[in-house]
Amino acid sequence: MLKPKVGFYAITGCQGCLLSVIFNEDEILDIADALDIVAFPFIKGENSEGPLDICFIEGTVVSRDDLEMIKKLRDRSDSVIALGACACHGNIPALRNFADERVLDYLKYEKNVQISDIDKPAPLAEFISVDYSVPGCPPDRNEIKKFIKEILLGKEFRNYPDPVCRECRLYENGCLLDHTKICLGPLTRGGCLAVCTTHGFECYGCRGLTDDYNFEEYFKLLAQKGIAPAVIKKRMETFIGLEVNKKLKGTQWEALH
Amino acid sequence: MGSITLNHITKVEGHARLDLEVVEGALKRCDLGSIEGSRYFEGLLKGRSYNEAQEISTRICGICSSAHNVAAIMAIEDALDIKPTEQTITLRQLQTIGERIRSHATHLYFLALPDYFGYESALAMSPHYKELIPRALRLIKLGNDMVVLITGRVIHPVAPTIGGFLHVPPKEDLEHIRTRLDKAHEDIMETNNMIASLEFPDFERDKQYLSIFKEDEFGTSQGTIKIGDHIFDQHEFHTFVQEYHEPFSTANFVVKEGRSYAVGALARINNSKHLLGPKTQEYMQGLAIQFPSNNPHHSIVAQALELMHYRETCLNLLDNFAVVQEEIAPVQLREGHGIAATEAPRGTLWHEYTVDKNGIITHANIVTPTAQFLRALNEDIAAYAQQLVDADTSQQEIIAAIEKLIRSYDPCFSCSSHFLTVNWH
Repeated sequence: MLKPKVGFYAITGCQGCLLSVIFNEDEILDIADALDIVAFPFIKGENSEGPLDICFIEGTVVSRDDLEMIKKLRDRSDSVIALGACACHGNIPALRNFADERVLDYLKYEKNVQISDIDKPAPLAEFISVDYSVPGCPPDRNEIKKFIKEILLGKEFRNYPDPVCRECRLYENGCLLDHTKICLGPLTRGGCLAVCTTHGFECYGCRGLTDDYNFEEYFKLLAQKGIAPAVIKKRMETFIGLEVNKKLKGTQWEALH
Repeated sequence: MGSITLNHITKVEGHARLDLEVVEGALKRCDLGSIEGSRYFEGLLKGRSYNEAQEISTRICGICSSAHNVAAIMAIEDALDIKPTEQTITLRQLQTIGERIRSHATHLYFLALPDYFGYESALAMSPHYKELIPRALRLIKLGNDMVVLITGRVIHPVAPTIGGFLHVPPKEDLEHIRTRLDKAHEDIMETNNMIASLEFPDFERDKQYLSIFKEDEFGTSQGTIKIGDHIFDQHEFHTFVQEYHEPFSTANFVVKEGRSYAVGALARINNSKHLLGPKTQEYMQGLAIQFPSNNPHHSIVAQALELMHYRETCLNLLDNFAVVQEEIAPVQLREGHGIAATEAPRGTLWHEYTVDKNGIITHANIVTPTAQFLRALNEDIAAYAQQLVDADTSQQEIIAAIEKLIRSYDPCFSCSSHFLTVNWH
C-alpha cells in the first residue's frame, strides 16, 4: 500500500497539539513509518510544498498570514484535519470576539508597523472546509493515535458522542456540580477520559458541545445552585465562545449578562 | 552579498522571521522577530477571576505550559498573600523539572542535533543512528510522565491550583518514577557524552546572564534574581528590568538597565554551576568546555548537564517523599498586586497580576524567556554574521550557521505573545 503523504502544520497557537502527536513516545516512530511525513516544519528542515493526502492543522486563524496559509494548505490537500481546540473551536485566541477592543489596545504597539490581525479570530471551518476534527486543549494523545490508525485502515473516524460525564462516572468521581463548581461536563463532548474532573478540576468545555446538549436544563441546575448568569456565560465563552454563541442563538443564552 | 530573508525558520517553537542585510562586506541590518499572530493573552485576562489566570495563561505555550501554570499560580498567591506548604513547593519543583527534562530532550534531539549531524530532521537521522531517537523518546517520556503524575496531563496542567494541589500523586507512583529516574542514568550519560563530543562553532560574545538564584539550590522558583554580580528581589523587577519597543517593530524587547541579557540553561549554569549536584559537577570539570561560557552554542551542553543535575536532585527530592492530600489554602480576597518568576526550560518566566477586592484581574503582565533574550540573540546574530562575512563564508553556509545559532537559544515564539507581525520592506 502506498503510504499517505501527510503534513503537520501550525498557524497561530501554542504548538501543544503538534507536541501531542510527538508525545506518543512509544508509537511515534511507528507512526512516522506508517505515514509519509512530507511536511512538519516544527521538527523538519525540509518541507514539501507538493500535494498532501492528509493535512493536520493546529491553531486559530487570527492573522491574514494564517488565513493565507490555511487556504493554500486546503488547496494542496485531499483531507484537512482540524487538530485541537484552536483549530476546531477557536479556543482562547477567539475570546477577542467577546472582549472590549479597548482593553486590548495597550498591547498594540502602533509604531510604523502593519498589524495583520483579522477582525474576528475564528476556527478553520469559518474559512475553509474541514474533513475531520480532533478536538480538545490539548487533544488527547491517544485519540490522535486512534485517528491515524482509523484513517490508515480506511475507516471513518467518528467523534466520541457522549458527554464528559459518561467517562467521569466510569471513574467513579463525585460530581463537581455538587461542590458548586461550574463544571461544563454535562454539555461537553467526552473522549478525554474525563482527565480534568478526575483530578478535581471542573470541565471548561474545551472539546465543544455534544450533539444532544441540553443547555436549558443545565442553566436551570446552575441557577438553582445560585451561580450568577454572567459567570456561567464567561466560563462557557472561554474555549468555545463562537460555538455557543452560534448554537444557542435564540435561547436564554442571549439574555445572560 | 546582499540581503538574506528567512521567512519561516523551521525547528523552533512558533513562527519567526529573520532579515539580514550586508552592504560591501559590512552588516547593515539584522532583525529577528516573531511572525506569530497576536493572541492578546494579557488583555483577555483582564476582567477574569483570579482563579482563571493559570487555566487561561497555560495556553500561551504547549511545551512550557507547566512553567506558565506555576508562575501564574505563584503570582496570584503573592497578590493574595497565600503561602504554599513545603509539600506544594516540592511538587511544583518536580512539575517544572519534569517539564525541563522533556523540553530539553525534545530540543536537544529533535531541534538542535540535526544541525550538528547534517540532517534536515531527527526523523531523517533515525535510520542511520538507531539508538539515538529511541533514547530521546525515553527521556521525553520520563519528563512527560513526571508532568502527568503531578499535574494530571502532559500539556496544560489540571491538578495544580492556588493554595495547593486538587489531587496529589499516589506514593507508589512517585516511588516508581524515582526508580525510572535512577535507571535513566545511562541515557543521560550517553546524551552528555554525545553532546560534549560535538564540534561547536567558534563564536563568543560577552553578555549578562539572568536566572533565579538561591544560595543552596539550583534551578529553583523560590529565590532572588541574579544577573552578573547583582542580586535583586523578584518584586524589584520593574526597578531593574525594562520592556521596550523598537521603532521598527512592535515586538517587545527586555533589557536590564539598558543592556541585553540572556536567560535559559546556559544562564542558569553560568550563574549557579557551583550548586549543581556533586556527580554533575565532577562530570562538568572533566569537559573540554568550561563554564561560565560566552559561546551561545554551549547552551545545549548546559541543557545536557541540567538533565544530569535534575536526575540527581529529583532522586533526593523523591527519597521518602511522603505526600498527603493537604487542604487547599483558603483564599481571602483583597486588593493586591503579585509577581512571580519561575524557570521555564528556556529561561526565567515572569507573571504579574493586579486583582481588585472581588478577585477580578485588573492588570496582567507576562514576560517570557524569549522576549528577554531576543535582544541578546539579535546582537549575537549581528556579531556572528559579521564574523562569517569577514571570513568570506558563502551565503548558504551563513544561513545554516545563523539558524544553528538561533536554535541554540531554544526560542519559543509561541510564548512571546507580545510580538506582532513586522513588515520590514
